[in-house]
Formats: sequence, structure tokens, C-alpha cells
Amino acid sequence: MKRRGDGVALETRSDAPAIEGLDVDEPGQPALETGREPAVGSSRWARIGGWCFLGFVLALLYVPLLILILFSFNDSIIIALPFKRFTLEWYRQVLADPRVLGALGNSFLLAATVTPVCLVLGTLAAVGLTRFRFRWRAVAAGLIAAPLVVPDLLIGVGALLLFIRLHFTLSLRSIFLMHVVDFFPVVTAIVSAQLFRFDRSLEEAALDLGATRREVLRYIILPLLGPALGASAIIVFSWSFNDLVVAFFTAGFQTTFPIWVYATLRHAVNLPVVNAIASIVTLGQIVIIYTGWRLARRFSAARADDRGEATGLLTLEGIGGGR
Amino acid sequence: MSASVKRERANRSGSGSGWLPAIYLAAPIAWLVAFFIAPMVILLVVSFQKADVFTGLGSFTGWSNYTAFFSDHAQLRVLLSTAIITTASMALMLALSLPIAYLLAFRVGRWELPLLLLLVVADELNPLIRVYAWRMLLGRDGILNSFFQLVGLVQHPIAILLFSKFAVVLVMSMEFLTYTMIPIYAALKTVDPSLLDAANDLGARLPVTLRKILIPLAAPGIFVAIILVGIPMLTEFVTPALVGGTSAYMIGNSIEDQILESGNWGVGAAMSFLMLVISAVLALVAYRVGKLNRLETAA
Repeated sequence: MKRRGDGVALETRSDAPAIEGLDVDEPGQPALETGREPAVGSSRWARIGGWCFLGFVLALLYVPLLILILFSFNDSIIIALPFKRFTLEWYRQVLADPRVLGALGNSFLLAATVTPVCLVLGTLAAVGLTRFRFRWRAVAAGLIAAPLVVPDLLIGVGALLLFIRLHFTLSLRSIFLMHVVDFFPVVTAIVSAQLFRFDRSLEEAALDLGATRREVLRYIILPLLGPALGASAIIVFSWSFNDLVVAFFTAGFQTTFPIWVYATLRHAVNLPVVNAIASIVTLGQIVIIYTGWRLARRFSAARADDRGEATGLLTLEGIGGGR
Repeated sequence: MSASVKRERANRSGSGSGWLPAIYLAAPIAWLVAFFIAPMVILLVVSFQKADVFTGLGSFTGWSNYTAFFSDHAQLRVLLSTAIITTASMALMLALSLPIAYLLAFRVGRWELPLLLLLVVADELNPLIRVYAWRMLLGRDGILNSFFQLVGLVQHPIAILLFSKFAVVLVMSMEFLTYTMIPIYAALKTVDPSLLDAANDLGARLPVTLRKILIPLAAPGIFVAIILVGIPMLTEFVTPALVGGTSAYMIGNSIEDQILESGNWGVGAAMSFLMLVISAVLALVAYRVGKLNRLETAA
């Protein structure tokens, strides 16, 4: 049992003693109840190794951000150890910078307008694709899924060439048009999955009792979609707020928050003011995502069990290769 | 009313009707055609033109933009280095996400949802900020190097940490880790834990269980993860620009240069269109494999 490190959770079982009477040398013996945990790798060492590994990966994801926040309070223009004195100077500076505030405001405005439009278009498409069978259905579905797969760089370059040809002035409006087309398909993906899961008998009963299509949509489908729409809103808002690539090509002279960060970092060394504003944005995003998730759960008519909801959300997020 | 009910029934039972789905699909499809299909068509058109930077109009030049790309050795080297960086990142991400997916799916009990949330939240945070955090750590005068020097581990800062292929591989892996893990996790979730119990009862040790049950059932998920994460990584330009320097220039940087710096739209569009074709082929393969998986697990 001395193996440590990455593979430990997957490997130690072979060294582990046979567990709870399930002696491997006596296959004829009846299986004993092992509880809800499956028996594979359930020795104590495998467990500890597994948790260490999980901790290691989570640390890789989060510790750099914690250090970033820590150094936003460091009283030195150079971001390196040793830590000098505590200061709020960088926050004062960055919050007094009109370019930064303007860029943040633009990003918020963008995400806040892109999100509702994406929710409407995405839900319409999801209902159209899941509740009808028609000739071009596969084509329509493939078309709607395409922006999720096509890399943002190509969408951005194509959009730039298109807008220039149309003599359309690049601004927040052009980013808005592109963000909607880039992000509404993820709403369709999430909402369709929810629609597939539901029993259709409710809708059919309503139709049989004389409800119109519109009434079915208003009183049955939409209330059942609460959690899916909540998850979609969180994802679209984050993607739109975070997007650099598409905005980079279609912004013209406008600056969004990611464009400001990129431009600042491209031509400068690390700057504590960037740490300060990045800390604020990161904490803000965590609060928004968490509250959104709680709200979606609270108002969900479906009361999907936690795991189903999470895997649904996650699986679909996995579909969206691009951001 | 009964006529309309009959029509609804007919729709649901699949005998196709013209206008009802159109009510729902017209707006989304119109938006897609205007701002997704049109840009892709423009890419294709411009890739055969010698485009004028000011008007966007150009004259037809046949395949010359494509041959310009393929006969440029510098570009081909960039393509090769892009493939190497993507493959290395993918290997690192699989090494991390296979155990994670397994642990989450079977080993962590009631911690499954909180851990999933932590992984997803990390993914929804601003990727630029995450790249910057790593750059701050890895720099020549950055936090890790200053730490190493402070404790006397090294005399001189380790320069290779930042502005190297290593940096791009590490940082991109961190960026796409959640995306890689999710499809594998989803595939493993379809495995009935009692199968594992049964294997154990029948005397299978973990290596056998892995080979006979877990890997075959997770394979489509792994494959889908490789392709769906590989596509955006192949065209990544932000991460190499910020942590790669000149030593990890990728095809995405090259496309950006052609379009924004050199005004060489024809060649830039040709390269973009090539990447589009590669993405489309890979996506179709992933779609086929993913579908196969669904059929198998449904049965």
C-alpha cells in the first residue's frame, strides 16, 4: 500500500485485502450487502488517495485565483514574494479609472441584453425541435447546434469580414448580434433536454381538453422549464460577459471588460490594478452564479433531484465546446 | 376544435405539417442564417479572393490563397506546433480528468454535487483572469520563481516556466479541464454501479474491471471529450498570446495576424476555412460516436 499520487485511487484495489467477506478466491460464495458504495477500490488508502487527488486538482483550479486576490492587496507594483504591506491603493486606482468602469459597464449591458434574447430564441427553437416531427428537422437541429462546435475565432473572423462588406459600423450592436447567434444554441440544448425528460401526457391532456397551443406553452411548458431556463441564463450571461474572441473582432472602437484586460496585459507586465479589478469580477461572478443556481432551484416547478439537474446541466455544457 | 386537436395529434405522431414548427423556428433560424451562415459563406468567398482592405471587395484569385498557405514553411511549422501543443494538453487533461470523472461518478457519495459545482463554477469564471493568474505565478520574476529563490531552491529564476510551450500546455489544460471531464463523467454515470459490484463479486480486481467495464463504457465519452475540446484548442489564440510568447505561436495567432495585422484577408480567410472544415469533420465524428453511445446505453 505504498503507492501514492495520481493513479492511486484506480490502482490500490489490486493490493487491497478482499473486502467485507467478498473473498475473490471463493466465487461461489453469496454476495454480502456492501452498502451503497460499489466495492471497487473502496479500501481506506484508495479513499484517501482519491480525496488527495481531488484536492490537488481543485487546488490547481482555485489556488492561482486565491493568490491573484491576495496580491491585489500587496503594496508593490511588482507582483512577487515577499509580500510587502497591505494596501487598498490598487482598488482605489482601478475604480477611479473611467476606461475600466466603461468597459465593465459595456460588458454588463451586453450580457444583460444578450441573455433574454437568447432565452427566447433558444426556447422557441427547443420547442420547435422537440414537439414536432417535420421533414427538415435534422437539418434544423444540426444548423442550431453548429455555433456550439465552430470555434469562436472563425465566427469572429467571418463576422468581421461580413460586417465590413455590409458597411455595418462595428460597435456594441455588432457584438450583440454575434453573441446572440453564438450563445442561443446552448439554451436550445439545455431546454430540449428538459423537454425530452418530461412526460408529454400533461400537454396532450391539455390539448384534448381544448387548450390552444399558446395556452399549453404558457401554463404547462414554461413552468416546467424553470431550472433549465435558470441554468441557461447563468451560462449565457457568463459566456457573454467573458467572451473575448468574438468581441475582439467585432467591437470596432468599443471596449468590453475582456478586451480591456487583454489589451492591458498584451503590452504590459503584470499589474496590480488588474489583480484588483479581476478580484472584484471573480467574486462577483461566483456570487451571481451561486444565487442564480439557488433561484433556479427555488422556483423550479419540476423539483428535479439534485443529481439529475446537475448532470443535465453539465452534460449539456459539455456539448458546448466553444465559449 | 376537434379538427385542430386532430391536427395536433397528427403532428405529434410524426406525419409532418408545414407551418406549425415554422412559428417556433423562424426567428432562431433567420438569426442563424444572417449571422452564422452568412459569415461562414463570406469566409469561403474571401478565401478565393485577393481582398481589398478598404472596401472588402476583391477579385477572384482561384486557389492562390490556399497554395500560399501550404507552400509557406513557417506556417506549416506553426500548424505542427499547434498540433503538438494541443496533443500534449489533451494528454495532461485526460490524465487529470479520467480519475476525477471516476471518483465523482462512483466514489464521493453525497459530495458529488458540491464537487461538480466547484468544477463548473471554475469553468464559468473569466478565462482571461484565469490565464492572467497563471501568468502571474509562472513569470520570470513571478510568484513561483520569487518563492523558489526566497527559500533557496534555485539561484536563478527558471525562465522556461513562462513564454514557453510548457506554459501554454499547462494553462490551456487548466482552462479546458472541466469540459474534458464532463463527457467522461456523463458516460461513466450510465454505468450501473451494481455492474461493478457484480464484477467484484465474481472476483474481478480493479485492472480487470477497468479493462472490461469502465474503459469500454467510458470510451465514447472520452472520444467525444477529445474532439469537442480539441476543436476550440486548435484555434486558441488568447492563451498563447498571453503566456506563450514567440516560442508557442499557434495557428490561431497566425490567423489573427493575417486578418488584423497584415491585412492579408484572403490568406487569413483560407486558413480559417481550412480550420472550419477540420472542425466540421471532427464534430461529425464525435456526433456519430456520441449517438452510438446513446443507442447502446438505451438498449
